[in-house]
Amino acid sequence: MSTPVVIDGRGLQPPAPMELTFAALDKLGSGEELTLLLNCQPFPLYQILRREGYTWQEQWDDGTCAIRIRKP
Amino acid sequence: MALLLSFEQAPPISVPARFLFTAPLFGVLAGLLLAWQGGEALATRWHPTTLALTHLLVAGLMLQAMVGALFQLVPVVAGGNVWRPLPVATLSHLLLAGGTLALVGGFLFQLPWLFLLAAALLGSGVLVVVAVVGFALLHAPGRGATLQALRAAIVSLAVVAGFGCLLAVVLATDIGWPLMETTDVHLSWGLGGWALALMSGVSYAVVPMFQLTPAYSRWLTRVLLPMIFLALGLISLPLLVDGWAGLRPLGAILLLLAGGLFAGETLNLQRRRRRKVIDTTYLYFRGAMVCALALVVAALLLPWLPGLSLDPAAPVALGILALVGVFAAAVNGMSYKIVPFLVWLHLQRLGGLKRLPPDINSMIPERRARGQLLAHFLSLAVLLPAPWIPQLARPGGLLLALSCAWMWWNLGGALRIYRQFKRQILAAAESAES
Repeated sequence: MSTPVVIDGRGLQPPAPMELTFAALDKLGSGEELTLLLNCQPFPLYQILRREGYTWQEQWDDGTCAIRIRKP
Repeated sequence: MALLLSFEQAPPISVPARFLFTAPLFGVLAGLLLAWQGGEALATRWHPTTLALTHLLVAGLMLQAMVGALFQLVPVVAGGNVWRPLPVATLSHLLLAGGTLALVGGFLFQLPWLFLLAAALLGSGVLVVVAVVGFALLHAPGRGATLQALRAAIVSLAVVAGFGCLLAVVLATDIGWPLMETTDVHLSWGLGGWALALMSGVSYAVVPMFQLTPAYSRWLTRVLLPMIFLALGLISLPLLVDGWAGLRPLGAILLLLAGGLFAGETLNLQRRRRRKVIDTTYLYFRGAMVCALALVVAALLLPWLPGLSLDPAAPVALGILALVGVFAAAVNGMSYKIVPFLVWLHLQRLGGLKRLPPDINSMIPERRARGQLLAHFLSLAVLLPAPWIPQLARPGGLLLALSCAWMWWNLGGALRIYRQFKRQILAAAESAES
C-alpha cells in the first residue's frame, strides 16, 4: 500500500497549492487519493476537478479545510 | 468564518481588465497635466487645475481600478452574480471614462456644458454600476465582513456620485448653493465611504490570502463600518440642519480614526505574516498604511499648528498624501496580485490539468514591479513638499506620469502572457482535432 499523499497549502501563496495539487494528481494511479490542506475552500480547483472527472470530499477542523481528492 | 473563493461565476477576463488597464492611463494624464501646469496647480485645493488633477486621480485612476476589482471580486469572493457582465462593463466603462474626461475639461476650460455632460455621463455610469453590482451584492450568498464592506462601499459610491452631480450642476448653472461645504461632504463620502470601505473589504479577503497574514480581527471588522457611517452622518447632517455645523469636526475626527484603525491593524497583520518574502505588493501595502497613519496624525494636528492651519498649501499636501500615498499605492499593490492571479485562473480554465499556465511570479517580474514602486514613492516624495516649493511640481508630475505608465506596461506583461498562452492552447486543441 502506497504512502498517503498530503499537500499542506496553508503556508503557500495562491496559486501554489493548486499547482502542487495538479502535479501530484498527475502521478496518482486510477482510484488513488491525495489530501490537500488549506485555510479556505478552493472553488476554482473544484471547478477544474469537476470538469476532469475527479471526486472529492472536504472536512473542516479548527480552521483547516482538508480536501480528499480521488482520481477517476 | 473561512472565506469562500468561487470561480464558477467569474466574468470574462476582459470585464475587470478593461477597468484595471484604463486606471493607470488616467494617472499618466494627471502627471502630464501637473508637469504642464506647474506649481500653480498645487497652490490651493480650490484652483480649477487642482480640481482637474484630483478628479483624474479619484474618478479616473481610483474609480476605474476599484470598479474593475468589484466586477471581479463580487462573483469570486461574495458569490454574487453580476447581470450580463460584458455589456454592463462595456457601457459603464465608456460612461465613467468619458465622464471623467468631460469633468476634467470642465474644470480646465470652465465650460458649463462640459460640467453638465460630466454629470450626465458619470452619473449614469455610476448608476449602472450601483444598480447591477448592488443587486448582485444584495443577493450574494456570503455573510462575511468582505461582503458587508462591499455593500457599504457601493452605497457610498451612489452618495458620492449624487453629491458630485449636484456640484457639477451648481458649477454649470451658478445656482445658489453652499459649494464649499457640499464639496467637503462629497470628498468625505468619496474617500471615507467609497474608497475606505472598499479598500477594507478587499483587504479582508486579499491580504490574508496573498500575504499569508492572520485574518483581520473580528472586533475591527465589526466596528469599522459603523464608525465610518456615523462619521459620514455627522459630516453630512449640517448640510440639512442649520446650526449643526459643530458636528462636522467630530465626524472628521471619527473618520480619520477609522482610517487609522484599519491602517494600524493591517500593519500589525503584516508584521505577523507567515510568508516572510518581501514582494512589491507587501511593500506597496506597507507604504500605503504608513502614509495613512501619517495622514491621520497630520490631519488631526493641523488645526493646532498656528503656522499651517490657515495655509492653503497644507490641505493640498494632505490630498497628495491621501491620493498618491494611500489609495493609488493600495490600488497598485492589489493590482500586482489580482491581475496575474486572474490571468493564471483564466488560463488554467482554458488549459485544464494537462497544460499548466506559466508561473504566476513570471507574469510581472519582481524587478520591474520593484522599479515601478520606487518611481511611485519617489513621485510622492517630490510631490509632498511641492505645494510649498512650486519648482518641484513639474518634476513630481513627470515622475507620477512615469510611474503610472510603468504600472500600465507591467500589468500589460501579464496580459501579453495571457494572449500568447491562449494562442498556444487553441493551436494545440486544433492540431489535436485534425
